[in-house]
Amino acid sequence: MEILVALFLVLSSILIIGGFFYWKINKLKKDVEKNEQKMRRGMYELAILKELGDRTGYSLNIQNIIDIITGSLRQFIDYSVTSYIFVEPEKIIFKAHLEKSVSREFIDSIKKRMVSSLSAILNKDFSKTRIEEILSGAILTEYMNEPVRSFFNIPLVIGGRAVGILTIADTKTGLYKEDEMTILYKITKQASSAITSLQEVVEAEQRKLNAMVSSINEGVVMTDKDYKIVVVNPAAKIAVGLGLKEDVSIFDFIEKLGGKFDIKEKLEESVKLDKFLTVDDILIDDRFFQIFVSPVKSSFGLSKDEIIGAVVVFHDITLKKQVEKMRDDFTSMMVHELRSPLDNIKKISELLLKKKKSKSDLEYMGFIFQDSTRMLELVNDLLDVAKLEAGKFEIGKQSADIIEIIKERANFFKTNAKFSKVALETYFDPNTPLKIEFDSSRIVQVLNNLLSNAIKFTPEKGTVSIQTLLHKKGQNIEDEAKVIGAKWFLNKNLKNINNIPNSLIVAVTDTGVGLSQDKIVQLFSKFKQFRVAIEAGEKKGTGLGLVVVKGIVEAHGGVVGVASQEGVGSSFYFNLPLL
Amino acid sequence: MENQNQYEELITEVIEKQSIILGPDIAILKARNVSELVIDDQGKVTEIKGDKKAALQKIINVYVELSGMIVKNALSSIFEKYPDVEKINL
Repeated sequence: MEILVALFLVLSSILIIGGFFYWKINKLKKDVEKNEQKMRRGMYELAILKELGDRTGYSLNIQNIIDIITGSLRQFIDYSVTSYIFVEPEKIIFKAHLEKSVSREFIDSIKKRMVSSLSAILNKDFSKTRIEEILSGAILTEYMNEPVRSFFNIPLVIGGRAVGILTIADTKTGLYKEDEMTILYKITKQASSAITSLQEVVEAEQRKLNAMVSSINEGVVMTDKDYKIVVVNPAAKIAVGLGLKEDVSIFDFIEKLGGKFDIKEKLEESVKLDKFLTVDDILIDDRFFQIFVSPVKSSFGLSKDEIIGAVVVFHDITLKKQVEKMRDDFTSMMVHELRSPLDNIKKISELLLKKKKSKSDLEYMGFIFQDSTRMLELVNDLLDVAKLEAGKFEIGKQSADIIEIIKERANFFKTNAKFSKVALETYFDPNTPLKIEFDSSRIVQVLNNLLSNAIKFTPEKGTVSIQTLLHKKGQNIEDEAKVIGAKWFLNKNLKNINNIPNSLIVAVTDTGVGLSQDKIVQLFSKFKQFRVAIEAGEKKGTGLGLVVVKGIVEAHGGVVGVASQEGVGSSFYFNLPLL
Repeated sequence: MENQNQYEELITEVIEKQSIILGPDIAILKARNVSELVIDDQGKVTEIKGDKKAALQKIINVYVELSGMIVKNALSSIFEKYPDVEKINL
């Protein structure tokens, strides 16, 4: 009996101990399995985050990130379709990858659920928004008419703003466990937060750029390669009539500029041809613009010199146009209201002078003739300056004898020189061509101006000379002058005359007081000349003569200048390039 | 009593809204993590055990932890419908 009891106790103990160990082993097995599962999820989480880092680097493109997440899902959970939607200004992009064949109804159903989710988050109705659909993977089939039985949505948030929805869906019921879904939320959140951080850095830089661009008076619109606006300043928005509207897109510009300037076409042309484009005189509302379009290239890294976008600059030329119009009106007024009557007075007084009159009448008539002649010259100078500034100054070159014209001018000024007790001489380079191409009436104007100035500023017993020199390109003018015995102040230090092509150089030299370097600089400047004339109390002109001389010579392709020695004299020179 | 029902209705509406946003499976599973709440298979709150305000705060926190602050924006319109419910940190 005792043996039986002992045996029973031993067996019971074995059973209890065995049961305990069995339970313990089972528990350990479950714990190991649980830990393994936890580890697998952890590994998956780490792996996918690493993949995101490796494959996207510092990408700011949420679509790339989501493509990577959805592409790696199949190793982790089962699904029929992964899909995402993204909100764009004009549409919603719906992209779905079919792991298994599903029906059209299945796709439409998840699309509807995703749009509802987005509407609920953003409190916005998307029922009328166009949806662009992109499907990949398995084919759609009518034979598998299984509905959506399991799904979950993950909001895609960048910078605190919902930009889309990621959805995992399947035809089986109750497929997804809480842990699995939670991991995906976590991964997506981390990816979104990484993009947000990067975007904040980029936006901070963009804000700096915007602040800089905002302070520019010109309207500036910068786009990326897809013509999406990256930077736009208030001046550009005001230029096209968008006021201070926030969040403007290229479509706003297209709409506002419709019919006046095809901004999209010009951007495409500039980027495609890698070309700087200028479009003049675009009237937007009541203002005129000159519009520049240029491709923008990367200046560093692997993408150096690659076109990364384009820029449009709106340059307001309304004021310039108004000034141009005012100048045209002024010129027209001068011609009709001033020059024509003055011309008549001059001609009539000239006629009257020829008739026999009393001495006093002749004297009065002489005053009228002289004053009207001076006034006419003044008006002509003003008109010429106005034409020069408007770029409308034209010359008519014809083959003519320059020596003959110089001689004729010297003869014309002989009386004037004699009256001022100044000798007037001419010296011609024996190689001076018989005929050269120039506008004779305009060169006469140049010679008149230079000669009258020279005589006016040369003291009694002084000399004024007109000399010519045939210059060969590359030769030293000083040496050339020595050969013909020219007496002037031109030297090798004169920058503008020493690098000229084959030319005829004409110089009017006086033995006046000479000019300081300061005065020489002011001679050909319109405003400074005018001031100098006023300060000097001169009543005989505006001082614009030399400005006109410069314009005439430059219209011939030549240069004009002065070489002077204070207290000794000056040489005013110009060249006529030979063809 | 009326106040108690308001909390149940409000939390039910929160779960409904999250079911639209996140999908019913995850919305109900997460709501069930709040121990104070008894929820049926359709996501309706049938009972709140203990502090109702704390239960409301907990369920909001659960959804925020899952998908971020963005889900809160969608809830403000629901709270406007229950002016008598004590304010919580949204």
